[in-house]
Amino acid sequence: MTSITSAPARAATASQPSSPGRRGPKRTWPLVLLLLGPGAALIVLFIIVPAVYGLYLSFTNTQLTGFAARSPKWVGIDNYTYLLASQDFLNSLGQTGQFVLFSAIIGQTVLGMVAAILLSRPWVRGKGLFGAAVLMPMIVPEVVASLTWASVLSNNSAGTLNRLTGVFGADPTAWLQVVPMVSIIIVNVWRGVAFAMIMFQAALEDVPAELIEAARMDGARALQIFRHITLPLIRGPVFLYLLLTTISTVGVFGLVYFLTQGGPGGATRLAAIYIYERALQFAQIGIGSAASMILLAIVLVLGLVYVRLAKVEV
Amino acid sequence: MSSSVTPQAPGVARQFRHRPLTAVDVVQRFFAYTLLGLLVLFCLVPFAWVVFSAVDGNAGPTVQLPALSFENFIRFFTNAGTPMLLVNSLIIGVGGTALNLVLGIAGGYALARFEFKGRRAFMFSILLIRVIPAPATIVALYLIMVNLKLTNTLYGLILVEAVLQLPVTLWLLKGTISAVPIELEEAAWVDGNTRLQAIRRVVFPLVGPGLGAAAMLTFMGIWGDFLTPLVMLQSQELYPLSIGLFRAFSEHNHVDWGLLAASAVVYVVPPAVLYIFVRKHLLRSSLGGAVKG
Amino acid sequence: MKRTPVIAALMATLVAAGGLTACSAPSGDGDAVTISIMETKQIGIDAVKKLIPGFEAEMKKQGKNIKVKLVGDVLTDPQFVTKITQQFIAGEAPDVIDLGDSMVPGFAGAGYLAPLDDYLDKWDGWDHYFPHIQKAMVRQDGKIYALVHDSGVQNFFYRKDILTQDGVDTEQPKTWDDMISRLEQVKAKNGDLPPIVIPAGTAWGGGSWGEGFQPILAGVDQNYYSLKTGKWDLKSPGWEKTFDLYSELTTKGLLPVQDLENPNPWEPTKYDKFPAGKLQVAAQGTWGWKFDWGPDGATPIDGLETKVDTWQYPAMEAGGKTYGWSGLGSSYGIPEKSDHKEEAMLLAQYLSSGKPLAQVLVASGAAPVRDDIADIKPFADEPKLVQAGKDLASSLYVPTGDGSEQIAQAVANATELILQGKADGKEAYDSFVKNATDLLGPTLVK
Repeated sequence: MTSITSAPARAATASQPSSPGRRGPKRTWPLVLLLLGPGAALIVLFIIVPAVYGLYLSFTNTQLTGFAARSPKWVGIDNYTYLLASQDFLNSLGQTGQFVLFSAIIGQTVLGMVAAILLSRPWVRGKGLFGAAVLMPMIVPEVVASLTWASVLSNNSAGTLNRLTGVFGADPTAWLQVVPMVSIIIVNVWRGVAFAMIMFQAALEDVPAELIEAARMDGARALQIFRHITLPLIRGPVFLYLLLTTISTVGVFGLVYFLTQGGPGGATRLAAIYIYERALQFAQIGIGSAASMILLAIVLVLGLVYVRLAKVEV
Repeated sequence: MSSSVTPQAPGVARQFRHRPLTAVDVVQRFFAYTLLGLLVLFCLVPFAWVVFSAVDGNAGPTVQLPALSFENFIRFFTNAGTPMLLVNSLIIGVGGTALNLVLGIAGGYALARFEFKGRRAFMFSILLIRVIPAPATIVALYLIMVNLKLTNTLYGLILVEAVLQLPVTLWLLKGTISAVPIELEEAAWVDGNTRLQAIRRVVFPLVGPGLGAAAMLTFMGIWGDFLTPLVMLQSQELYPLSIGLFRAFSEHNHVDWGLLAASAVVYVVPPAVLYIFVRKHLLRSSLGGAVKG
Repeated sequence: MKRTPVIAALMATLVAAGGLTACSAPSGDGDAVTISIMETKQIGIDAVKKLIPGFEAEMKKQGKNIKVKLVGDVLTDPQFVTKITQQFIAGEAPDVIDLGDSMVPGFAGAGYLAPLDDYLDKWDGWDHYFPHIQKAMVRQDGKIYALVHDSGVQNFFYRKDILTQDGVDTEQPKTWDDMISRLEQVKAKNGDLPPIVIPAGTAWGGGSWGEGFQPILAGVDQNYYSLKTGKWDLKSPGWEKTFDLYSELTTKGLLPVQDLENPNPWEPTKYDKFPAGKLQVAAQGTWGWKFDWGPDGATPIDGLETKVDTWQYPAMEAGGKTYGWSGLGSSYGIPEKSDHKEEAMLLAQYLSSGKPLAQVLVASGAAPVRDDIADIKPFADEPKLVQAGKDLASSLYVPTGDGSEQIAQAVANATELILQGKADGKEAYDSFVKNATDLLGPTLVK
């Protein structure tokens, strides 16, 4: 079961000895250059060159301000050894790992999948409204998102969550002080459900409905259908989604910083916040760059793992 | 296992509803609606603060019953220079997105149709590089921009913003275009079209969903960015709203909450409008085609 | 084929001509030099805007044609530092920049600012600067990199009306023990609510060090940083004593802990409870008279002059002196890469003298660092500011250098532990030493 226009197309390929562009590197290069060239060149200029410069900086002790800024020195892997032995940095890596695992890999994926499945049911009314509501958290800019949650998690009795718990007679809790990690995980789940939902909705649509109906008529329960039929079919998109969301969650900065500034006591100092502090606040750009490279290496490894698990072809 | 665009799936399912609603079905539906309802509540409740405070003459940092008034919005729009912020944001956002999509379609097509050495490496590297947080790369980026004389100009900023969002767009569009069978284009070539004509006639109409998704993500990315404009721009007349939002944290250190909320509301409108516009395409975005299992 | 050499020659001539005209533009055009000045606070923007015409006219009288462009950019401090650092590096910064004093060491150290000593030596205005201020402006390498134009004196502002009403002594407390006993009296008479706010904890950010901890530390110990060696002495005795004080204030319930953990802790304390009289003492700088509680301020207090008065910082130990802490407010810096340093300096000097300076000071509620402003209107009409100016002459200041950001972070973290009851003074001090040593790195720690 291929494309709608399979018959005439196959006939076309049969009669056409060599379709231009599919093979033959000589003939394709000019076209590739024309189409991809400008974009690739700009990406190299604005994204890759700064990143390479960052790599260079990571081997130096460059400072942006202060007397040490006058004489940057090459220090080899000193920054790296410092970071890998630094409790603060390792903590921030660990916290980032927790953050990514619970908010992106578990939270957003599960909720997104649930939403996608529910919204794929034909009998559900008001899909557009539901979709729009779930999408709102994603389209507001980070600053606004942080402000809204600051009002919810506020530590005085007027905070939305405290009002809710107040109904049950509890005292106001300083949520961001008492359960900071859980709070930011929830905020990030809130933020990212829409993206998961969209990706999974598209993936679910490619699962042939006849297969599901056939299985249902054979007496299979919904959960069994999901596990044995749906899941394997959407394996690819799921892993692609996991890759994309890992990459973007690792980079989350503003959402958490505006809420907690990495506190209390560094409990929510994610890697991106650590790097911001080092690079811009303390002007230790050498260390900041090295930390970025370590982060990049970790995500690279994760990415390879995903690709392997999903048997994805790019 | 091939997967392609099968728009008739929902219709097919409807044909199968022969049996009447059983009790199990009713419970299932109730369950489903409850779940969806909770999800929607979860997503919308935090916005209560923004909505209430924007129309509150006496706003604070938490939700309270508003002293209804529109003075916050009035102050927002009459504050010298504020409408300009909005206009700048729109120019940068729309311009950047347009440029991004043009480069993205061209590049996405090349990546989808041609297998060349280093394609995989290119695709992965541009995606992974986004892991490096902006503070680490802003120094070099600014120096490059200065040397190209692109700083303190809107067009320079549009160029940079478009490129910063390009990796994701390339991925999305490559996936979407890959899902369009090459046979369709080949059929067009047979009919006497040149390559480019074939692209225009065959590929364009079918990449709607991917284009919509890319446009949405790109616009949102550019709309919310404030570090890049902060560093690249010097003249206050060029500032976008993302920086202007911080004006409410006036130098008194005394936050004008009502103004902030009103600014936030205005700030959210354009992406929301874009979403409504793009919705038809977005929800059916055939991203499954990005990956062939 | 013959065309190429001709074209090449043509191109060469064009380029050369272009280069020549570019070189000759400034002198050929002759007169107008345009310099830019940057202000990041609305008050500064408004004040300078009014003064530019006067400057340009003054320059014309001296035969100089200088045009001034005001770059008014309202930004928060971290945003401003991020942005201007990039501009310094690329040589794109405006010619005169109004910098907060805490930013100067970093920029001066990195070589972004031009040394001003030569200009200052030739300027007669320099002789009017308070000697201890002149000394305070000198950086690690012995040079001066920014011209201070105002300062605030930091004190304790207190609600005289409420204390008098409660029968609490309003004379200057001599020591902290004295102060604490008064605070406990006030607390008992006011519903047992915490009576004093001193910046502390992580939510207050850099202010926990700059406006909270450092003034108290400097009162008991001035050797915590050495400008000569550029190193911080973390074993200096004052640190632990100050942490102990914070611990005492917290355990006695004198600090508003819950408010201090608010994301914007100055809101509920300085802008809400102090005007309402529910918090009676606040560590505050002179700008409080205008900026915070003045008629045009953030939260005006009616009858400010009669209701509020100031105490100096009490001594830590019996027999010590009370003092005000002068936090060198703002300075004008000139980028090293500026092409118009001479003209920029003229502008900076103009804005730092006589009537222009008096106007700027009144607008921002600051005290002058010169001895010849007290009689100049409109400054002369502000008794509280004049008093601050007098206090300034006898106030304390300890200049610091590289690493103050890291120290500020470590102090914020350590005081946070105290506020949350997780550490007493000694434990907080130990944690601080560990944290600061790590953040500063070996080169900055004695």
